[in-house]
Amino acid sequence: METVEKLEKIKKEREEIIASFSKKPLEDTYLDKETKKIKSIYHTIVTDIKEETPDVKTFTLTADKNSDTPSLAPFKAGQYITIHVTVDNSPVTRAYSLSSAPSLANKDIYKITIKRVENGLVSNYMLDNIKVGDKLDVSKPAGDFGYNPIRDEENVIAIAGGSGITPFMSLAWAILEGTYDCNLTVFYSVKTEEDIIFKKEIEEINKKKKNVKFIVTLTREEKEGYLHGHLTREMLEPYIKEFNTVLMCGPKELYRSMNELLNEFNIPRKSVHYENFFVEYEPDEKTTYNLKVVMKEKVETIPCRNDETLLVAMERAGIKAPSLCRVGECGYCRSRLLEGKVKMIGASLKKAEAENDYIHPCVSFPDSDIVLKLDI
Amino acid sequence: MKYDYIIIGAGMGGLSAGLNLAYNNKKVLILEKNSLPGGLVTTFKRGRFEFDASLYDLMDYGSEEHIGSLQRLFKKYNLEIDTLPIPYNIRIKSIDDKLDEVMKGEIDDWVLRLEELHSGSMSSFRSLLPLLKEIHEALVALKKGRNNLEKDFPNFIKYVDKNAYDALVDLNLPIDTIHLLGYIWIEIGSPLNKLNFIDFAECMYKYIFRRPVALQNKSIDFTLKLAKRIEELGGKINYRSLVTEIKDTEDGKEVILSDGTKYHAKDVICNLSERYVLKELIKENIPQANQKENARTLSMNGLVVYLGLNKSYQDLKLYNYRYYEFQNLNSVVNMKSMKKFYHHTLEAVVPNIVNEQASPKNTTILVLKTLYSGDVWNSVNKENYYQTKEELANALIEEFESAFHIDIKEYIEEIEIASPITFERYTNNINGCMFGPMRLGYDNSIHRLLSYEEERIPHIHFVGGSSLFGSGVDNAFYSGYYITEKLLEEERRSE
Repeated sequence: METVEKLEKIKKEREEIIASFSKKPLEDTYLDKETKKIKSIYHTIVTDIKEETPDVKTFTLTADKNSDTPSLAPFKAGQYITIHVTVDNSPVTRAYSLSSAPSLANKDIYKITIKRVENGLVSNYMLDNIKVGDKLDVSKPAGDFGYNPIRDEENVIAIAGGSGITPFMSLAWAILEGTYDCNLTVFYSVKTEEDIIFKKEIEEINKKKKNVKFIVTLTREEKEGYLHGHLTREMLEPYIKEFNTVLMCGPKELYRSMNELLNEFNIPRKSVHYENFFVEYEPDEKTTYNLKVVMKEKVETIPCRNDETLLVAMERAGIKAPSLCRVGECGYCRSRLLEGKVKMIGASLKKAEAENDYIHPCVSFPDSDIVLKLDI
Repeated sequence: MKYDYIIIGAGMGGLSAGLNLAYNNKKVLILEKNSLPGGLVTTFKRGRFEFDASLYDLMDYGSEEHIGSLQRLFKKYNLEIDTLPIPYNIRIKSIDDKLDEVMKGEIDDWVLRLEELHSGSMSSFRSLLPLLKEIHEALVALKKGRNNLEKDFPNFIKYVDKNAYDALVDLNLPIDTIHLLGYIWIEIGSPLNKLNFIDFAECMYKYIFRRPVALQNKSIDFTLKLAKRIEELGGKINYRSLVTEIKDTEDGKEVILSDGTKYHAKDVICNLSERYVLKELIKENIPQANQKENARTLSMNGLVVYLGLNKSYQDLKLYNYRYYEFQNLNSVVNMKSMKKFYHHTLEAVVPNIVNEQASPKNTTILVLKTLYSGDVWNSVNKENYYQTKEELANALIEEFESAFHIDIKEYIEEIEIASPITFERYTNNINGCMFGPMRLGYDNSIHRLLSYEEERIPHIHFVGGSSLFGSGVDNAFYSGYYITEKLLEEERRSE
């Protein structure tokens, strides 16, 4: 009987200790509150639109103080946000690198810079339709691209093509504000002088002669003050040190030609980082397949062209499929392929995802009729 | 939509509960907010590396001869997973104690080494081993509902109200040996003078007699297997389903999602901390339950740095599977040193040592972890968040390099840093706690188990790492089994 007594005593002791505490409702800890501030979606207002070039605009987005997201999450230079808009009755998203100084997020401001793309559904919509005062929903900042003070070397070479300049503008501000202690040289290649985004900022930063420098090369015209043509060994050589980190953002051709160049300088793989923001795929023969989307409570069958991703087809049909990076990287859109074959371009799949028929619809092109399980 | 049981969260506890209920032909629905199962048992990709977020040692699995409870349950459910043995291969360093020891080989080897270090430890350690078995068997009996434990398990009764430190002193272990063997407190998150001896003994028992294993494949492979089996058995799992409210209805509970969808069941099983559920999901006030949570102490939170290195572990001279550095081997003293950002305690694991396929050829994964006690993170806000994380990670890497004389920095190809906020955001664990409510004093696993019936909230049950048995995949998984067995038994009784 001693057993029972001892165990009962232990229980009683616990009961008494608990009874000595308050019955008041539980409160959030400091970290609980900080964590709750981080949302998946932020409601913002377009507070300024600046024309950078005839086909590029920078949109200043400020947290909507009257919404449930009065403050914006911090971000690291190089990260992107995904904007949510409705175009032609279709809910669509696009990811854009943040071009503003990370410190502006402390004032609840993000800036994105958008270039008009031929037939670009969202870029055209943004450039032609969005006005100051409009509301815009955006994702929390995401992505791993950018400078990392632990991983990276002190000498940073950034290579930007066209609108690929945007993450480096943010990085330049971060360095100038003292967030990172490194030397940044940005090689920025554009077609003509007219295409230079952030022309004024670049000139001002170059005048400061600090640890950030922009070198602009024009590929389609020769003009004083600029390099001419594609990047060459000779152009890069003066800026390469013993240890370097190379960051690249631009079209795929740029990466291909740069990789050859970087090999000549013996820059190791671990020191070269890319931002993917294009998914390029041309099927041999164009056709349209059926895409059956099995959702939690309903099933819809929609057409899907083989030169567009499953995500795009679903968006056009008005299905609110989840998406974030739209280049196969982040895995946010992952869904199960129940039937059919797809061509996946550059998806960063976990090993077990691949073995369990998971695909990233944002980079999957149909190769047959498809049945997709979508968890919405 | 009506179910017998709704499970909120497909972490280890939720998956385990789902397996047992589906296995017993119950109509069960699991609601998971993320797009993959597993909770903290997950992976993420960076470049050519796939990192396991938390699971490296699957405790209580055992070998073919010494089957642990996890392996027994997997066999019952017809689940096959590929595992690899984890040898004893840990390096422990303590600054104050001027100790730098490698525990390697078989258990007998390091018992001999212990004797060399602390004369007299061998005989008392050997006499501890049968005691661990006795306590384990007593716990098995207790979980099965047996009352008369004192006849067969006198030592269980003798030590049930003692803390680990006092019990080990009572068992004549030299003080230095107690502190060295007690290093395992860092995996439980409670100092030895607050950790109940039964909890400590059970952990030691599993560690010595039911050796942990590593998964051959990444942990998502494992969690997807569990999820698939649940579905094969007729259970349903809905992903991207964030629960925002649990409501009472006439005949049970209503569970409401963020998109407004409603589900009904007679019972709800939460793979979430009681604190979170009371605070966020149940709108009515339950004073008794609040009181229990107000009485509890939140466990430590931490920072984890995941590194993908571009050299083999041999080239890097990372010869040990696990590394520990302490300021002081005395857990009470050591925990005090963790009340600030910069301190010396760290843990490291090199999965490649037990699994050549942990990362691509000629690369290594190194995961560093440190813990913080108290309100250390209260100085961090959105303005200094990223910078703080980077500075802390950098200090942790440098601490590892200088403690073990191994160069790491120049080989970093990929790096990711997880803070308490990262963990809290992903799993809703309170305050980013690594170990749920701290197991201490009156609130060790043994106390939660003894008072379980009296403290229940009608039709709401808790499983997972914040529940009955405490943190760890083994405890979380076992809680899912234990709680659902209770529920099934009650069903049978009421029929």
